[in-house]
Amino acid sequence: MTPGITLKSARRVSVFDLSQPGMGGSGITDPDFDGETLPTELAPVATRAKTGLPELSEIDVVRHFTRLSQDTFGVDLGPYPLGSCTMKYNPKRNDTLAELPGFAHVHPAQPADSMPGLWTLFHQLQNHLAAITGMDAFTLQPAAGAHGELTGLLIIRRHFESLKQNRSVILIPDSAHGTNPASAAMSGYICKIIPTTTEGTLDVGAMREMLNDDVAGLMMTNPSTLGLFDPNIAEIAAALHENGSLLYYDGANLNALMGLVRPGDMGFDVIHINTHKTLSTPHGGGGPGAGPCGVKAFLEPYLPIPVITQDDDGEIKAQFDRPLSVGRMKSYFGHVTILIKAYCYILSNGAEGLRTVSENAVLSANYIQSSLADLLPPVFQQRCMHECLLSGGDLDVDPFDFVKRLIDFGVHPPTLVGAGCVHFSDDYDAAMLIEPTETESLAVLDDMIAQFRKVAREVELARYMIETAPHTTDVAKIITDEPAFLSMLEADKPSSAKTS
Amino acid sequence: MSPLPGYNVLREQDRSHMLDKIGVDSIDHLLDFIPTDLRLQNPLDLPDPMSEWQLTRHLKELAAQNENTDSHVCFLGGSVYDHHVPEVVNYIASRGEFLTAYTPYQPEISQGLLRVLSDFQLVVGRLFDIPVVNCSVYDGATALAESAWMAISASSIHRLIVSDNIWPEHLAVLQVYMANRKVEIELIGHDAHSGKIDQADLDIALQQPAAAVIAQSPNCFGIVEDLKEVIHNAHQHEALAVIGCYPTSLGIIEAPGTHGADIVYAEGQSLGLSLAAGGPTMGMIGTRESLTDYLPGRLVGETKDIKGESALALIKQEREQHVRRDKATSHICSNQALMALRSLVYLSLMGENGLRRVATLSAQKAHHLCAELERIPGISRSYQGPFFNEFCLDLTVNTATLLDKLRQQGFHAGINCSANNKDAQQRILIAVTETQSLATLDHFATAFAQTIDQIS
Ligand SMILES: Cc1ncc(COP(=O)(O)O)c(C=O)c1O
Repeated sequence: MTPGITLKSARRVSVFDLSQPGMGGSGITDPDFDGETLPTELAPVATRAKTGLPELSEIDVVRHFTRLSQDTFGVDLGPYPLGSCTMKYNPKRNDTLAELPGFAHVHPAQPADSMPGLWTLFHQLQNHLAAITGMDAFTLQPAAGAHGELTGLLIIRRHFESLKQNRSVILIPDSAHGTNPASAAMSGYICKIIPTTTEGTLDVGAMREMLNDDVAGLMMTNPSTLGLFDPNIAEIAAALHENGSLLYYDGANLNALMGLVRPGDMGFDVIHINTHKTLSTPHGGGGPGAGPCGVKAFLEPYLPIPVITQDDDGEIKAQFDRPLSVGRMKSYFGHVTILIKAYCYILSNGAEGLRTVSENAVLSANYIQSSLADLLPPVFQQRCMHECLLSGGDLDVDPFDFVKRLIDFGVHPPTLVGAGCVHFSDDYDAAMLIEPTETESLAVLDDMIAQFRKVAREVELARYMIETAPHTTDVAKIITDEPAFLSMLEADKPSSAKTS
Repeated sequence: MSPLPGYNVLREQDRSHMLDKIGVDSIDHLLDFIPTDLRLQNPLDLPDPMSEWQLTRHLKELAAQNENTDSHVCFLGGSVYDHHVPEVVNYIASRGEFLTAYTPYQPEISQGLLRVLSDFQLVVGRLFDIPVVNCSVYDGATALAESAWMAISASSIHRLIVSDNIWPEHLAVLQVYMANRKVEIELIGHDAHSGKIDQADLDIALQQPAAAVIAQSPNCFGIVEDLKEVIHNAHQHEALAVIGCYPTSLGIIEAPGTHGADIVYAEGQSLGLSLAAGGPTMGMIGTRESLTDYLPGRLVGETKDIKGESALALIKQEREQHVRRDKATSHICSNQALMALRSLVYLSLMGENGLRRVATLSAQKAHHLCAELERIPGISRSYQGPFFNEFCLDLTVNTATLLDKLRQQGFHAGINCSANNKDAQQRILIAVTETQSLATLDHFATAFAQTIDQIS
């Protein structure tokens, strides 16, 4: 099947459809080896006759994937105010610097003293993260936010093991991101859920009632996934610590806080940072990110191995001999290229730049909230942090339909219940979480606001346009409760499902 | 006018206008809901900001301090290999549309990305010969841990039988992931002659119920296992077979799925990903259809739009943390989608013949080098089982000294496996990919022989 000339049709074509026998593998040759004869000893076990991989020419690969890219919306194409995901512009220079051969071509099993540049970078980055967050020590190993959570929770476990205390419960606010309870379960904890007050803050009274000597800790993000700063945080921390429990900080919302407030100063004992959100890494269609985990000094012995530290004579080393460590969280050192980007971002901004980042992130979210208040009132009647939770309850149209119409006007929909990464309780089922980020100029923010208003006007004038949106995309609206089938090759489908 | 700090885009007049609209007179006032005693009083303790050229110079200086595959010939493996990365892979993966998108929660504007992820599932399914593949997890080690948990959830048996010749780092991560989930991990040994799983040990272990038998082929000595036998044995005792593989080797070696593996996992770095000091790489997991609901992470499938036209979307999200929270199959949210894109482009470029050639060339060169090295007095193959592109040698000299001397001559000659090794005192693990020329291999063999001569 030929793909046709319009790029829109590329999505209908799989690489198998583009396959032409005999294509592919260009340039995989060597004058001294035929690339065909199997070594005698291997031949009896290397019996695979066919892989069934598709066979494409290089130009077909380039065209096909270029076309697919053009059928994909990213921050490079327009505003992406997906709440909780911090879809900001990530400086291109950092992507290039992270790929310098002196980083990209390093094998992780090289002798430790063959990569001093990397050790220096890791060590400096750990120090900078400590400065930004008010924590004492960091591991850069976790692969993403959720992986940082798991690391932090295992550290908490080790702490109580060493105290010979058996605590089995982790408290989690009902507004927490799904990764929090999932990570808690993976580290063997039972989750107990703390309700949110009508003001949008953690219900401190309810929390106090749940505190007992079975509680290992509380996982919290501040600002919360409702976009609000919890002013009771000091009281919460004190109550937890009095109970002998620890406080975990989900750093997914750190973009609101840099240079303004530090998790360490709020009383958090263990944290992770989603560097791909706050400290710049393009999200790559879903990842990779990085989730460095930071701790207060008393938890430092439990950090996963290897730990990068500087010894007394100034040499930076990867330490493996750490008897109290939780162990290893992943292969090697972490997502090195992502960490390099975070380092570059911090160095380009400096202290003032980072504070301005957070100030502007908060300013922009409040500006959106104020500008849309008549149309989409804030769910909680108060100022927000770097994202605003607005109610679509007065819209007279399903908010799910409403935000799909934004697509036609060049704006990525904000986070909704069931359409984004955040979990909301049913009370907010008409709510939208909008995170404009600090990298959109005022002109873009005003344009975004105008697009929301344009859609709102259509509720009366052209309701149909909203209900059937988007109209500018090659596919029409996709409703999640349509039956869906796993992508599978015809040959692999169970015989009942085969079309032929 | 001085430039805005860092990457900020709001000018002073913009900020004033916005504050006005909000109805506050300053940023401090805007943030007055934060208790003052929590507000940071001093600037963050960070270096002065750098210009783009200063930053570039600084990063180049740091990068220049690291030995790498341009400065040293690399014979290091251990799950991460110096295979060739075609430039088209870098080119496509740097397209801003792919690079700056996130998880395709909005399928209408993500059909291109969804097609990539869907094709990744299909192509990897072919390679593993298994019908269902997810959109990636963090790395090979966490792929193993997640696969093991799938088997435990599916069987409700909290016991794993694990071959002791899987990558040590993978085993270490598995132990951490299972530590607090009441899982017993029973290690079984390997045959000291062949390097393969000790089938007698496996038989004994299988006398008690187990969720899964976990094996890896090629194993951590580079030896190709008799997977058919291992899997058959597991199934005889109603344990699932969870098999780790090296994707490149599947160009010539029978896929685990073909032998009946229930779950196949892999470190995907060899498929068009740079070494990057070990990360980000990519974990891959494939399985039989009946185990789909236990899979971690994203899955893409076909659905219909409201006009009845076929379209792609994320499916089976009820497994995932944002829906199921503490009952989810895994906590994974951000994954390795960009690496999945890279490997799909890589496999599309290679195709049937290309992957076969990469695998064959790697094996040919490794076997050539091994034969050359085996001729050196005092050197012997550690195991007699057939290897793919990576092999262990036992030495009569100190491995660390040898590696050090060879490094001075421009070689990262191999991984020192002498520590914690029951089978031999001095041992080196050497990996060869298609990228080394005959001249380099022979030059290396000569240097190896001379160095051994010097230090023995
Ligand atoms: C509040 C919150 N916590 C945790 C996470 C998980 O982070 P990651 O996707 O990096 O694993 C996210 C990501 O979406 C988040 O928004």
